[in-house]
Amino acid sequence: MKKILTLIGIAAASLAYSQGIFIINNYSGYDFHGSLSANNFAGGCYPYVHALNPETIIAPAYSNMGNSNAIIYKNYRDQYTDSLFPISQWSVTTSPTNTQPRAWNHAAVMPGGTVSDNTRWSATKFQMYFAGTNTPETFFSGNVGNNANPCVMIDNLITTQYGTAEWFTITTGTTVTTFLEIH
Amino acid sequence: MKKTILLAAFAVLGLVSCNNEGTAANTVSSMKTPQMENFDKAFKSLGEPQNRPTEEERKRNTSELSDRRKALLVPASKELILSTGVTEPEMMRKTGGDMSQIIVWATQIYMKKSDEIRNNIKTDK
Repeated sequence: MKKILTLIGIAAASLAYSQGIFIINNYSGYDFHGSLSANNFAGGCYPYVHALNPETIIAPAYSNMGNSNAIIYKNYRDQYTDSLFPISQWSVTTSPTNTQPRAWNHAAVMPGGTVSDNTRWSATKFQMYFAGTNTPETFFSGNVGNNANPCVMIDNLITTQYGTAEWFTITTGTTVTTFLEIH
Repeated sequence: MKKTILLAAFAVLGLVSCNNEGTAANTVSSMKTPQMENFDKAFKSLGEPQNRPTEEERKRNTSELSDRRKALLVPASKELILSTGVTEPEMMRKTGGDMSQIIVWATQIYMKKSDEIRNNIKTDK
């Protein structure tokens, strides 16, 4: 009962947007290895979601819209069938004491559901690697994400001598389209 | 004799099919329309030095792309929308000329077209 009330509470507090698309455009010659998270931006920081299986998303060097190799996540569910790097399981945290692993097709992460409607793509912790190797470019790494996130202090632009990583959004009404561009 | 002819026929079929596969694999990029290519270029151009966020833009407490940089994406977005048969007045009526709406609409068209191309290649195989 308490759980249901909490869920209704979250839904009522912040039915402000629907989960938009997330697109990774890697224009650099390095492989991107990074985590991916999403969270509520209004009415508390929950739900908090992150890619669990696998935890690390890989966007190979030069994989971007230009060659149809961009890694795209339409939502927690459909990405499994149409993304080039599908996530089979998400970790969903709805309160400080409740974290559950959720399969891509679990009811909890359906488009239009409470979790989906109340989270926005928020951040990645990444490390760039020399293409096709396990050798990191130590100085091309960091945390980058939506800098308007009330729950996480993070920059939306990382500039290094080896390249840049920028997180930006394009918003129409209640739909937020999120891009991570690496140059 | 009949067997030999049949075998030969299958061999030829096999060769033709392998041939097709090669062509199909090569057309991922070539099946794109010029409008799609320009849309790609516009997004990529955001990383060029003169198009990167300015100091002023970096100080904003938002990740929303600035109007200056959205404007870089608008011409290619409009082109892509018009290439689907939508007329200019229709486009302006639907978007109210809002840059974000134009870009997001074009992004949706772009992804749909990319999916179609990928599916076509799959079915060809």
